[in-house]
Amino acid sequence: MLGYLWTLINPLLMMSVMAMVFATIFKEDVKVFAVFLFAGMIPWNCFNSIVVQSSGSFINNEGLIKKIYLPKAVFPLSVSVGVIIDSLLSFVALFAIIIAVGGTFSTALFFIPVAYVLLFMFSLGVGLVLSIVTVFFRDMQYVLQIAMQGLFFLTPILYKASALSGAVAGLVALNPVVPYIELFRAPLTQGRVPDESVIVQALVISLVAFFVGLGALLSQERKIVFRL
Amino acid sequence: MSKITVENLSIKFRIYHDRSPSLKDYFANLFTGNRPAAYSDFWAVRDVSVEFRSGDRVGIIGHNGAGKSTLLKALCRVYESSQGKVRVEGRVAPLLEIGAGFHPEFTGRENIYLNGSILGYTDAQLRVIEPEVIAFAELEEFIDTPVKYYSTGMYMRLAFSLATAVHPDILVLDEIFAGGDAAFMERATARMYQMIDQANIMIMVSHDHRLVSALCNRVIWMDHGRLIRDGAPDEIIAEYLGRSAHA
Repeated sequence: MLGYLWTLINPLLMMSVMAMVFATIFKEDVKVFAVFLFAGMIPWNCFNSIVVQSSGSFINNEGLIKKIYLPKAVFPLSVSVGVIIDSLLSFVALFAIIIAVGGTFSTALFFIPVAYVLLFMFSLGVGLVLSIVTVFFRDMQYVLQIAMQGLFFLTPILYKASALSGAVAGLVALNPVVPYIELFRAPLTQGRVPDESVIVQALVISLVAFFVGLGALLSQERKIVFRL
Repeated sequence: MSKITVENLSIKFRIYHDRSPSLKDYFANLFTGNRPAAYSDFWAVRDVSVEFRSGDRVGIIGHNGAGKSTLLKALCRVYESSQGKVRVEGRVAPLLEIGAGFHPEFTGRENIYLNGSILGYTDAQLRVIEPEVIAFAELEEFIDTPVKYYSTGMYMRLAFSLATAVHPDILVLDEIFAGGDAAFMERATARMYQMIDQANIMIMVSHDHRLVSALCNRVIWMDHGRLIRDGAPDEIIAEYLGRSAHA
């Protein structure tokens, strides 16, 4: 009945449940925690969906690739663009909630489009590499699900990075997704543009991921059809 | 003027002897140090050189597994050459398998646009051919119904009508003659012949020798990936049938 609205409502409800559960566990104020969580979940969901959906993009379109010539980049790119559009729409919905429960409205929000561009380049780069790996190793899909679950907990989405210490903190510091969370969280929860060092870090990671992904695609695209 | 030049084309396939390769096997083999040759190379097309010029109506014949379809797919760029070159001047319409790009949840009309853009038509072109496609497929009533509710016949009619709606310079056919009821078959065959007539170059693979001699003015005989003979249809078909009878 609701059709497309489900793609909006589903993540909203999901995040609301998480906000309530974890606010209770961590004994935090629900409103404050909800804003904090939403700001972290938006980039994570976007990254996660792009990577997971891109990774299956060649093997799911096996029938098409074997019959008609299409530039191979079309497959991961089309799912990624689809995800980013979904993400932008759910951002608008979440943003309304964030403002309603006491988020900060500031000029720093103009940074969000930049954050999206960086996030998209990074996610697409990782997605491209995995889309090709999945063609060569079919069980990558299952490994990837587990790996993304692990990465979720190694990313400061439910908690603050500063709350960690010891070996885990070191591990989280190596996690390339961390700067992207900060890119969204600083404008949304604190009403400020992210630190320059975080922006530079994200930019470098995005460029590296994007060009590695592109290189992987260009070097392997002729082989894909033979391995499907 | 269309032209296809194939120079020393070879296409190599890797045959995997076990299941699809997996990470699990890869690591298992890495640790046990036993890394058997899990695949062997197979040359589906071997050192084929041929040229197709404007006006050619080519039939490709040969046993199953002779590399006929692989050669066609190489002409359509689905398979990249392992060695050699394929140069195509003109627009190729891939007709290898009609209906390949249909999405079950979309309506017939949406699928015309989706599949049409996959086949390389522009939006403007599609708007022009849309009414004709729908009329030929006799689907006026159901065109806004998702194709998953279509009967096999309806599905085939839509796919065939769309695939044959635009007349390409270079027509490539792989054993397709549409399904459907007798009346549709008749109209479809007529449409097919018209399409073949208007194409600059037509290349088809078929096991139906009568069809090949009726439609083609040149026949290529392939065996084990190699081009054996190339010449006038009657001569080559007779020789091919003679050889098959002895073997």
